[in-house]
Amino acid sequence: MKPIDHKKVLAERLSARFGRRTVLKGLGAGLLTAATTGAPSLVRAQQSGHIKIASIKVIDTLDPHFTGFLSSIQIINNIHNGLLKIAYDGKNVTFEPDLAESWDIEDDKVHVFKLRDGVKFHDGTPCDAEAVKFSLLRVKEGEPKSPHAWKLALLENIEIVDPLTVKLTFSQPYAFLPVALNGSTGRAGTIVSPAAVQKYGADYGRNPVGTGPFKFVSWKENDAIELEANPDYFEPGLPKLERATFVLMNEASTALAALFSGQIDGMTDCPMQLVDQVEAFPNANLYGEIEGNYTFVGMNCKRSPFDDINLRRAVAWALDRDTLVKQAYFGRAQKAYTPISPPMTEFFDPDIATSGRGQWFDLEKAKSFRAKAANQGEIEAVYLMAERGPVGTRVAQTVAPMLAEIGIKAKLELVEPATWVKRRNASDFDLYDFEWVADLDPDETLYPEFKSDGAWNFGGWVNTDFDDLCAQAQVELDPAARSILYNKAEDLLMDEAGIAIMAHMPIYKVFSTKVQGFQYIPADLVNLHTVSIG
Amino acid sequence: MLFKALGKIAQTFVVLFVVSVASFGLLKLAPGDPIQIMLGSEFSQASYDSLRAELGLDQPFLVQYANWAIQFVQGNWGTSYVARAEIFTYAFKEALPVTLTLASFSLVFAILVGVPLGVLSAIKKDTIFDAGSAVLALTGTAFPSFLLGILLIWFFAVKLQLFPVMGYVSPWENFWLGIYHMILPGLTLSTYFIAMITRLTRATLIEVLEQPYIAAARARGEPNWRVVWVHGVRNIAMPLVTILGLQLGVLLQGTVLTETVFNLPGVGQMLTSAVLGREYLVVQAGVMMTAVLFIGVNLLVDLSYPFLDPRLRTSK
Repeated sequence: MKPIDHKKVLAERLSARFGRRTVLKGLGAGLLTAATTGAPSLVRAQQSGHIKIASIKVIDTLDPHFTGFLSSIQIINNIHNGLLKIAYDGKNVTFEPDLAESWDIEDDKVHVFKLRDGVKFHDGTPCDAEAVKFSLLRVKEGEPKSPHAWKLALLENIEIVDPLTVKLTFSQPYAFLPVALNGSTGRAGTIVSPAAVQKYGADYGRNPVGTGPFKFVSWKENDAIELEANPDYFEPGLPKLERATFVLMNEASTALAALFSGQIDGMTDCPMQLVDQVEAFPNANLYGEIEGNYTFVGMNCKRSPFDDINLRRAVAWALDRDTLVKQAYFGRAQKAYTPISPPMTEFFDPDIATSGRGQWFDLEKAKSFRAKAANQGEIEAVYLMAERGPVGTRVAQTVAPMLAEIGIKAKLELVEPATWVKRRNASDFDLYDFEWVADLDPDETLYPEFKSDGAWNFGGWVNTDFDDLCAQAQVELDPAARSILYNKAEDLLMDEAGIAIMAHMPIYKVFSTKVQGFQYIPADLVNLHTVSIG
Repeated sequence: MLFKALGKIAQTFVVLFVVSVASFGLLKLAPGDPIQIMLGSEFSQASYDSLRAELGLDQPFLVQYANWAIQFVQGNWGTSYVARAEIFTYAFKEALPVTLTLASFSLVFAILVGVPLGVLSAIKKDTIFDAGSAVLALTGTAFPSFLLGILLIWFFAVKLQLFPVMGYVSPWENFWLGIYHMILPGLTLSTYFIAMITRLTRATLIEVLEQPYIAAARARGEPNWRVVWVHGVRNIAMPLVTILGLQLGVLLQGTVLTETVFNLPGVGQMLTSAVLGREYLVVQAGVMMTAVLFIGVNLLVDLSYPFLDPRLRTSK
């Protein structure tokens, strides 16, 4: 057996995992050092300016360990830091130490984090190894149970080596670790103030205390969340803003009008249907690329009629993705062939369209599968839809006539979002459409969604080979080997048509031209660290 | 008299009780689950069960209702499940004043515009002015308020930059800035009422102007403006107050859309997001406040009749 240099592999993976394998020289030794020194700068940053940004999606809580929404993480990430953070240079997404000053990998299961010295939470308590241990344990085994506990299920032991060094031991090599331990979409690695958690208990989400560039000031329901600069922030010269307000809004077109009239300076999310207007407006900058996501039509494999693999395959080949992109996604999305999305460059095949892998539109093929289906009569299928997600019911409306082509009459049932969630989770549908978003790794984009007994496998597609492949990939640290495993796994999913895949979507943000220094990260983040306002 | 008043109060409590049980029950019957919503897409059964127990949502319906009712009466309205907002502060201190400001501003505005317009239509019955005001009134009732709101925003706030697009400033803190922020939403919400008041005023006044005492007043040689504005218009008060009391529901409904379009943090927005998020306690608070408001206003309407119509005072 060929020995694998895990240190090297993981370091490579971390420095260039979404990139074009541009291995950064000097990091190959397995030691990652933060670019800046740990001690807070003696020269305090001069903060000025007050930014107002519309947030048009639900904010559930500002507790990083309990939120289920990216819209909340956008704010949380300005208040807290993770052990690691996501960085993006326009081409590559990398994971860098954030609160950690260095990250040393002793072997494939043992990770040693050396923390920055002198970092304090907003309440003045020190952010040390104890705080890290406290936060990780809160996610892993706290009560009530965090929805992100599964991300740390393999974490076996947390050892405090010294006040600034913490050693994490995992039961298996854990390829998903860089995502799990970052303070953004991973959430599990966000470090919270133990003193504040003890003080506020369940109300921590309304009184968040982190180490981030901004301190929480207030949260008025349906009105605004106010943040102010943390003058003691550990990155020298940051933040540049004095104050930041997230204006909580329900109506995107009002937010756009407010942006155009100068009443607000940006939007954390710009729905696709408004992008044309933004592009035509001279005083706004649009940020957005295809992110780590995929949309699909889900079929209920647990019951008739879609327990029939031929019927599912017929649906998978009957969807005209070009039309879908044009009609449902305003021409802004990109056709998908498999779930793994373009930003996961180490796993995504740029030539997938010609590779023969995945699903695409071929009506002849769809009809031939339909001819093999058990039920040859007209099939009526309940299509569960709601005014939710990035494009509401547009997908269902576009898909229905395509299904009619192969003798499936979609009975569109429009319900309100809460009912939709309930029925989806109870697998009370024949068809529905959904999107998994802001994924940074094939593990989180495939495994929990389609694992045979997975809690999110609402369609109930079962394939134990798929489970095995994903489980193997999870403990495989070599990206090339992982890639092969995940490609095999998604090929199974596509071939058996557990879902009919549709598109990868761009996620947009918009800022007035007065706003400078915004660093776009393709994980739906709105980090205001470096932002200033003219 | 005292007996009658006590009866009225008892009646009010019965209504509030029925309303509270109905809304508590209906929301529980509605499919959907606050915990599924708060946990988003990525959660496990263990975290679901654990949160459910934490929030007391695993208790039987009657226990949940009784717990809520006892606490509510004591002024302890609880905290919202997900955002952990203090509901009394959120609903009563923050949201209610916004909606009351918006509703009263719109109502005053509707009366100030609608009554004169109606009076003029009645005097100039069957002229081009009357026809014009009828068209205006019909348009006002037929025009969807959210569309009107968006149009007003794009024209007055974005194109002309005359008014703010959105937001609320308390008139108690800054009166003129508060009014300034209320103009577009107030206009949007009041269109329907301007139309209604115009038509009501016109119809009532036309009828009144045919009464013998008007003829008598004219015969006494009183000037025309006095006949119309003093003897005529005071008769509008009764039907107007009655209809406004009954239409309060429509007004409160209207605030939902208006608050959404203009992003005002009022009861309408609170109820919408609470219903969508299955925040049972917030919905309860909102429904109870609305019910009390509705009953209270209609009680005031009842009580105001003797002041508006002297005949009711003497007939007892």
